[in-house]
Amino acid sequence: MNSLQEVWSKRFNHYMNEVQKYMRFVFTGHIALVLVFVIGAVGYQYSEWLNVVENSFPAEWIVAIAVGFILALSRPVTLLREPDQVYLLPLESQMPAYFSKALRWTFWSQIALASIIYIVAIPLLKVVTELSSGQIWLVLAVIIVLKYLNVHIEFNYRYANRGASLIIDRITRGLLSILTVQSALTMGYAYVVIFIILLFVYNRALAKRVKVQTIPYEHLVKVEQNRMMGFYRFANYFTDVPHLHGSIRRRGWLNFIYSIVPYSQKSAQSYLVYRTFIRTDDHFYLWVRLTAISGLIAIFVNIPLVTWVVAAALAFATTIQLKYALLSSGDFRMDRLYPVDGSQRKNAVRKVLRLFMVIQAIVVMLCSIGQPLFFVTGILVIAVSELTFQMTKDPSSEY
Amino acid sequence: MTVLQLTDVTGGYTRKPVIKELSFAIGEGELVGLIGLNGAGKSTTIKHIIGTLLPQKGEIRLNGVTLNENLDKYRSSFSYIPETPVLYDELTLKEHLELTAMAYGIDEATLETRSQSLLKEFRMEKRLNWFPAHFSKGMRQKVMIMCAFLVNPQLYIIDEPFVGLDPLGIQSLLDQMDEKKKDGASILMSTHILSTAEKHCDRIILLHEGRVRAQGTMNDLRRAFQMPNATLDDLYIAMTKEQDHE
Repeated sequence: MNSLQEVWSKRFNHYMNEVQKYMRFVFTGHIALVLVFVIGAVGYQYSEWLNVVENSFPAEWIVAIAVGFILALSRPVTLLREPDQVYLLPLESQMPAYFSKALRWTFWSQIALASIIYIVAIPLLKVVTELSSGQIWLVLAVIIVLKYLNVHIEFNYRYANRGASLIIDRITRGLLSILTVQSALTMGYAYVVIFIILLFVYNRALAKRVKVQTIPYEHLVKVEQNRMMGFYRFANYFTDVPHLHGSIRRRGWLNFIYSIVPYSQKSAQSYLVYRTFIRTDDHFYLWVRLTAISGLIAIFVNIPLVTWVVAAALAFATTIQLKYALLSSGDFRMDRLYPVDGSQRKNAVRKVLRLFMVIQAIVVMLCSIGQPLFFVTGILVIAVSELTFQMTKDPSSEY
Repeated sequence: MTVLQLTDVTGGYTRKPVIKELSFAIGEGELVGLIGLNGAGKSTTIKHIIGTLLPQKGEIRLNGVTLNENLDKYRSSFSYIPETPVLYDELTLKEHLELTAMAYGIDEATLETRSQSLLKEFRMEKRLNWFPAHFSKGMRQKVMIMCAFLVNPQLYIIDEPFVGLDPLGIQSLLDQMDEKKKDGASILMSTHILSTAEKHCDRIILLHEGRVRAQGTMNDLRRAFQMPNATLDDLYIAMTKEQDHE
């Protein structure tokens, strides 16, 4: 009977459609532009640095730690849903077939990240180590084997312990993975074999415990829900994901800002929008994050043109995303009934954004002090933000 | 004096109307109950009155103006308590009251006195700085009720007000409604709690499949259904059976 394989295929197709639907917004958006510039700038600085890096640089350890850390994070993608614990219950004995498909996908979807990190480090390894090309690629093969083991062990551990004390497992696997990669990079192949055998035995021991247990649906469904929620949160920065409500925090230390809104009928929407922006994690952290990235680029990339382009692109990104987030909403809110002018909300959003974009401009400008014409960065941020608000469409008019 | 007047109102979410040629009026100081089966069109009627849906045909006048003629006057003339509480997750109870007062142009001194007595009445004084995430369903409902009564408008539109409220909360709400009525305010209330409706409403509008099946005082309704001595429950069930025969 292959019904469970069909269930998997159907879910997988649905999942891929969902991911593609939202990734389209991500990559056609401004982020692609920012990424190109950031990668370009970082790549340039990396190649410059390779010219001056000393032979004593501990590249083996740094690469091993970075790769090993990523390898240890092997959260299974099971695509299980809440109703499964009722409807799939009678099929429990056939579930291993379903899970093996799920783990295969987990492996293939996660192998890329660890490989990319390693491949990016290859030029560095060539400069500071005596490894031959063949030996360097052999390490990649070791990493792939490690990833396979990590995916299976993490799943079995979660299964056997029903999700409890995962951190112990992750630290164990992380340390073993780091040591294996480090040994491979220093040509200690005997150690590589020993560590891999250790991981293999660990996996077999867990697999034995898995066999005598029922499926921990509650835990696996929760893992899956968190994973999808994380994805939707991310996608929500680029487009409007329906029915996603961000968490709220009081952030009392920012209460003083509210005092700039006077008590009057004309300011009702400002009263609301200032609080919505500051207290909604999604909105507030978006601003914090983009401001921080813009500032860090200004500090570490000493090429004025790159700083300007990145600052301008991020000012555009911040403004358009927050404008969209604060102005569009399909849900009914009580302020739709208020006897106030319809344009009040838009003006309120403009005021809030203006204040926070001026703060972003100041932060980025301070970070680029030392560069020639550093004040240009600040002016650019404000100008781009104002233009973006002016020229882009008003999402609230769609409803 | 007529506060709210619906004349031949036809409308719905799509082009297929849910409510058909609805006509009724509510006078000053009147408490009118809007009663009907699930899907009869009670919520749709209310959405047309508050202006989130616009009628395809007909006219709705509140305090003499339509929504298009004078948006500010129309909107300041009513306050609305929805069936499911709609709160701002990011505002505390105190801020909900403050925001409502600001939006309806109520000065700070009035806000202070009105909210003090409402908070006491609904036993929410100790929750002023709480966010809605920490409120039960009943408390959320109380926030909506307090905001509505804070505005002190000519017309109150209340959708299923008793669901989720504890007995003390229901009593406080009924007391508030009585008090406002004495001051001349009008109330349109939709509900399934028929015994309460029968006891408190001056008039009842029975909606059936988007039309007014019958309206008037309890005695008017009894005559219309030819059921003397019937309770509202009896009349309601009679109407249900009528539907079964169709």
